Amino acid sequence: MSDTFSDTNYVQLEIYPSRLLKPETAQNLLNEISDLEGIIRLFIHGPRLPQTVPYGPATGLPVNHSGNAVIEVAGQAIELAVSVGSIRMEVLDVDVKEQVREVCEKVLSVPFEFRVGHFIPTRQTVSDYARRGPNADPLMTGMTDPKGKLKNQSICILRPDDME
Amino acid sequence: MAYEPQYYPGATSVAENRRKHMSGKVEKLREISDDDLTLVLGHRAPGSDYPSTHPPLAEMGEPECSIRELVEPTPGAKAGDRVRYVQFVDSMYNGPSVPYVRSYSAAINFRGVDPGTLSGRQVVEARERDMEEIAKFQMETEMTCPALASLRGATVHGHSLRLPEDGVMFDMLDRCRKEGDVIIMHKDQVGRPIDKKVNLGKPMSPEEAAKRTTIYRVDNVAFRDDAEVIEWVHRVFDQRTTYGFKPEN
Repeated sequence: MSDTFSDTNYVQLEIYPSRLLKPETAQNLLNEISDLEGIIRLFIHGPRLPQTVPYGPATGLPVNHSGNAVIEVAGQAIELAVSVGSIRMEVLDVDVKEQVREVCEKVLSVPFEFRVGHFIPTRQTVSDYARRGPNADPLMTGMTDPKGKLKNQSICILRPDDME
Repeated sequence: MAYEPQYYPGATSVAENRRKHMSGKVEKLREISDDDLTLVLGHRAPGSDYPSTHPPLAEMGEPECSIRELVEPTPGAKAGDRVRYVQFVDSMYNGPSVPYVRSYSAAINFRGVDPGTLSGRQVVEARERDMEEIAKFQMETEMTCPALASLRGATVHGHSLRLPEDGVMFDMLDRCRKEGDVIIMHKDQVGRPIDKKVNLGKPMSPEEAAKRTTIYRVDNVAFRDDAEVIEWVHRVFDQRTTYGFKPEN
């Protein structure tokens, strides 16, 4: 249960734009970020966009939200399923952090907050242990919605070669 | 001298806008046809008769009652309309109205209404044609900006979220969209697709929204900027505490 993935020198960042991002802007930003060396892991955070109306008299009807798009990042198709509100990531060191900041300044047309802090859990909780068992990949800790079903959660490995 | 209600204290633009909303002396900014309104409300088909829940009062033969003689029924009550609702959501990012002010506006300026005030949304229940009158009034005037306020019967999430890049308040059911320089509504207030796109008009520019808003914000007009409002809020809370305190002995 005490398996940790993160090296203590890794830096965690949060990019918090002043507006919710359109899928095209999110795609541009993520593509630029994925080109950088030294990004360990990253997740997208924001209000969920359901495929069908969840409640009310229109329950079950398709929503077709324009924000619920499939974007392509580093050659991989990713279904967004959220309106992109913030991007939280873990990077190798402070040099990579500065590169990420430069990318944000280049791509984002709206003001944004750029924070360093602790945003992704690095240690399994008891609930994680109960869900994933003793041999869970520590890289996945904190990368999925703790309330969602594991089989519905999409995690993309953008550069599988770098994993080895 | 005849009494003139003052409605709300304060000298700031927000206080002035609140007075305007509450007194009903608001500027009309856009035109929405009756059919379009019926379509987006989604309670009945446009052009159809109002379904009724009881016969018209004139045919019912009401009991003798001095109050009934004193109070003229509203057109909806007279005709026996069903009670239906309209619900608005206003963005915290300088949305033109806020739930409390919408409720004050409905209760002060219209009869036979039941306004419900919640943190991020405001609902008015009334006889169907009376409700439509309120909805039309609020949607056509400066009480509503099609981008920063919207009709949402269910799934109201959005008032406290950051605005999306296009400036149209987040809506997970995607009822409103910006097309060109106008906002269109292509679903009714609960998210059912409607037959045509209803043009709700142009959104307010950020500067205009900041000028017309009734929300105190530190990045626009801060609540603490208005000494008279603070004084009266303190007075109300003071007196509530004083009169609420009832020792047993």
